[in-house]
Amino acid sequence: MTSAASPSSGLWQPAAAMAAPFLAALAMAGVLLAVAGHNPFDVYGLLAVESFGNIKRITATLAAATPLILTGLAIAVAFRAGVFNVGIEGCVYVGGLTAAFVGFTATALPAAVLLPFSLAAGLVAGSLWMLIPGVLKARLGVDEVVTTLMFNFIAISLAAYLVNGPLLAPGSANSATPMVADTARLPRLAPPSTLNAGFLIAIALLVLYGLWGRHTALGLETRLAGLNARFAAAAGFNVPLLVIKMMLLSGAIGGLAGAVHALGNVGRFVTGFSPGYGFTGIAVALLGRNSAVGIFLAAVFFGALATAGATIQLFSDVPIEIVSVVQGMVMIFAVAQFGWPRLRRRFAS
Amino acid sequence: MAGPSAPAARLEARGIGRRFGAVIANDSIDMRIERGTVHAIVGGNGAGKSTLMRILHGMDRPDAGTVLVDGTPTSFSGPAAAFAQGIGMVHQEFMLVPGLTLLENLVLAHEPTDRFGRIDVAAAQDAGHALARQAGVSLDWSMMIEDAPIHVRQILEILRLLYRGADALILDEPTAVLAPAQVKDLIALLRKLRDDGCTVVFVSHKLDEILAVADTVTVLRSGKVVATKPVAQTTKAMLAEMMIGQVLTNPTARPSTPGKPVLEVARVTARDGRGHVRVRDLSMTVHAGEIVGIAGVAGNGQDEIAAAVTGLGAIDAGTIRIAGRDATHQPLSGRRPLGLSYLSPDRAGEGLCLEASIAENTIASRHRRSAFCRHGVLKRSAIRRHVESLLDRYGVRRASAHLPVASLSGGNQQRVAVARELDGGPSVLVACQPTRGVDIRGIAFIHQCLLDFRDRGGAVLLLSEELDEVIALSDRILVLYGGRITGEVTRGSSGIDEIGSLMLGGGQSP
Amino acid sequence: MIDHVLHAAVLMTTPVLLAALGGLVNRIAGLVNIGLDSMMLAGALVGLIVAAYTGSWMVALAAAAVAGGVLGLLMSLAITRLNANEIIVGLGFTIAVAGLVRFFLKSAYGSSGTLSLPDVAPLPRITIPVAADIPVVGAVLSGHDPLTWVAWLMVPLTAWFLARTRIGLRLRAAGGAPQAARALGLDPLALRDASTVFAGLMAGLGGAYLSIGVVGIFNEGITAGRGFIALAAFYFGNNGPWPTALCALLFGLFDALQIRLQGHGVPTEIVQTLPYVMVVVVLTAMAHAVRRRRAKGG
Repeated sequence: MTSAASPSSGLWQPAAAMAAPFLAALAMAGVLLAVAGHNPFDVYGLLAVESFGNIKRITATLAAATPLILTGLAIAVAFRAGVFNVGIEGCVYVGGLTAAFVGFTATALPAAVLLPFSLAAGLVAGSLWMLIPGVLKARLGVDEVVTTLMFNFIAISLAAYLVNGPLLAPGSANSATPMVADTARLPRLAPPSTLNAGFLIAIALLVLYGLWGRHTALGLETRLAGLNARFAAAAGFNVPLLVIKMMLLSGAIGGLAGAVHALGNVGRFVTGFSPGYGFTGIAVALLGRNSAVGIFLAAVFFGALATAGATIQLFSDVPIEIVSVVQGMVMIFAVAQFGWPRLRRRFAS
Repeated sequence: MAGPSAPAARLEARGIGRRFGAVIANDSIDMRIERGTVHAIVGGNGAGKSTLMRILHGMDRPDAGTVLVDGTPTSFSGPAAAFAQGIGMVHQEFMLVPGLTLLENLVLAHEPTDRFGRIDVAAAQDAGHALARQAGVSLDWSMMIEDAPIHVRQILEILRLLYRGADALILDEPTAVLAPAQVKDLIALLRKLRDDGCTVVFVSHKLDEILAVADTVTVLRSGKVVATKPVAQTTKAMLAEMMIGQVLTNPTARPSTPGKPVLEVARVTARDGRGHVRVRDLSMTVHAGEIVGIAGVAGNGQDEIAAAVTGLGAIDAGTIRIAGRDATHQPLSGRRPLGLSYLSPDRAGEGLCLEASIAENTIASRHRRSAFCRHGVLKRSAIRRHVESLLDRYGVRRASAHLPVASLSGGNQQRVAVARELDGGPSVLVACQPTRGVDIRGIAFIHQCLLDFRDRGGAVLLLSEELDEVIALSDRILVLYGGRITGEVTRGSSGIDEIGSLMLGGGQSP
Repeated sequence: MIDHVLHAAVLMTTPVLLAALGGLVNRIAGLVNIGLDSMMLAGALVGLIVAAYTGSWMVALAAAAVAGGVLGLLMSLAITRLNANEIIVGLGFTIAVAGLVRFFLKSAYGSSGTLSLPDVAPLPRITIPVAADIPVVGAVLSGHDPLTWVAWLMVPLTAWFLARTRIGLRLRAAGGAPQAARALGLDPLALRDASTVFAGLMAGLGGAYLSIGVVGIFNEGITAGRGFIALAAFYFGNNGPWPTALCALLFGLFDALQIRLQGHGVPTEIVQTLPYVMVVVVLTAMAHAVRRRRAKGG
């Protein structure tokens, strides 16, 4: 048995494939910086120092990478099954809101129960959110790209409604739920950094994902079905059921990402809850090429960009928005030149 | 062969040769297609018809020999170059655009327009009506393509070639998709076009049609021209014999000892992907320890039988029983546990997952058995041992089982598929084109595997376009024509000689 | 009240309608344009700046259209020539252009997310004599800017263009059966590129409408996802210009009602989800119909 990378291609090939879109995006952004009157090398040097320069910066980077590991993983799980799920942003909203809701309402629960229960609530909510697109895809062949994209907007609006109405914190004017109970918060690992136990959850899931892909029957079936659905059907796998399962799993991890963000960082649910974690997750999964290590590295890259971007703005006049530019371009380059054969085939016919 | 003084043929092949790897598709083919005639080209599967047609209309280039157009040696750079010489082709897959009307499809890419780029609808309609009149058909030009019946689409393809200025038409098995009444109409149309001076090349393996429409017929077999004859001087029996050649029996196979019925197909009716009924009220039984082969020209329902038996396609009526259990409403995932195994005809698209490793391809479908998997966790070392021994036993030459299966040659790929499907003690194997694209040694090996499986008490349903293979391996041969079983022949019986004509619709009327 | 709502509905329809017609032509040629929103955003910014510096709304509209068209071309080339997945590229453009716009605002104007310029030439309003005084009719017809009229004129024009012109026919062929189009000697990729440029032009105009036609300033959230609403409109309209326009109008009405109903206890956020829910429903119904037709053997 073998994982996605065959031994003959060695390590450099996936590494190069991963680095190339990133470097291309940095080059394009470098031109932009130069046009705006900044020295791109100085800016990138500063970015590197600000994201990995010392322990404090590294913990900040890992904290920022945490939700991205989870959303990248959520999307990779679906991609692996050949399902093009772009609806994880919605799962982050639904999962985050549900986890926060449990965290501030079920406060009577003992401390040891409340946190796991809140996390589980977010996970289940995210999973159920993908039920309809999953079933529509598996049973009727409805294009999951459009449905999951639409479900994002529905989730964001629904969450906005709830947080402005029924779940609005009393006396609060700014569209936020009450804070969750302290016992529902994910413990911090290295105060004052916001790095919290959510990071450990993310790493644990990443390891599980790696093992799952290599060592389980379902992992094998998912991979084969994603590579060639007709082969999988002829080998006797129940492909529609597999698609539904993977959509639910994908949504569950997305919901957990929201729960971790709510219980670890924000402490409640607010409008504009996610700065596009679900969309960045697509770039993470593409760049990481569905492998556990790749997803981790890609998430750390984007986490570094996000944290360093925020701080260099304080020290220089380089706008933080350069990060979004890089991120968007990474997505484009990741599919443009180094797109997986499968993704290409999808629209070639 | 015509002498040097004869007028130039509209299209001529001289010494055309084309090989793909070790396979010789065309072997020094000489053929003259005279202007203003309908010239039929017949041959079984793999006779080299498609390759020759591709060469004649510029889709492919020969390795040897020349194509002459009106007596002038010509080398086509592509289909467009052939079209410029008035040679156009109607493919089996129509090149029509859904969402457009018949008229729009007719004029597409050659639209009559005014100088503002507006389509001159009246001019287009006039052209359409004129063509229809010329061809003696009437069409509702405002109909959308997706609403048009298949024969209308075909007529449109032909008219479009005329509209664009072609006068030599190559039709690749044009009647395969048509109902009998529509075949008559098409034949009438082709005759009319010939009388108007068009040249028609008509590829088919249905002898009745050829006798009805063609002036001349060329028979191909194994990439060579067997004969070119005026149709008036041939009979169906002669053509059948030339097409099929000498039928061989295989004396080495021991007689079978059939046991209990393992695969029972009762009164099954099934459609193809387009919704046309392809299998009608078909019944058959395959017993343990017996190989049942289906002999038939491609497109007579083989694909639908395979889909119905495996559960990969739905059936309209009938029942399927596997090992005595009703499996009619089971998908393939429910039939494999009953002992069904399936060797796909489409190795690259369905039989194997090319991007996955050899090992993954070898174990897939049995990876959940208790020897290889516990509580959903794979026993990787047990799988590795099993896969390695299986690959050794089936002689799969490999550098490592971790390499993608795509890195193997076609013959070795098929050995992987056969190893997988025969491993784990299935009770019935549905073997579709088991040796397609396989080298000679591989063919012999796979044949022996199937016979060994039979001798161990396995049941085999063999669907193959290679008639020699069907005859060599099968204990019983069912002849399939038009979605029905039209004859049954047992191994070594005198009926073998009739298979050829039964396959071509010679026995009963369709 | 009803007059206000109707007038606002027509107003809110225009940007969505423009982008939706562009996206519709794009989809008919075989490319689902997820990047419409980014092209609107670019058009909105460029339109405002050019309107301020030149003082001409016509030049501003032209510049906005060009900005959208250039983005459309870039996006299309990535998809048609580099074989990139259209969804990912579309989302990538959405993210990158949003970043680019904010980066530009900060670098060039030192402002974060909002740009207000003096002397912006707004779109003029056309008051229709007589009709303006009739209730309802006046609200619907009178007091609109030229771009709104253009948008509605584009509906029959698009239908006519697709049905009756050489390019329209070829665009449909490029989307419907690219293989067949290529076999007939057409270049489906180039046709697709052209359609994406057109989508960009239209989305750019839609964006400019928001900045110089409605509010007179620019901010980073000015499109409020209208590019995606446009996507919903042409999905819901099933590639027909008139159904798409009606759908855009319906969404415009939702938009207008929602502004009206704010603070009246009606959950406006729920109303906002309707376009997206409708798309899912339509896709499901269509898939269901296809399945039933296949089962019947059609």
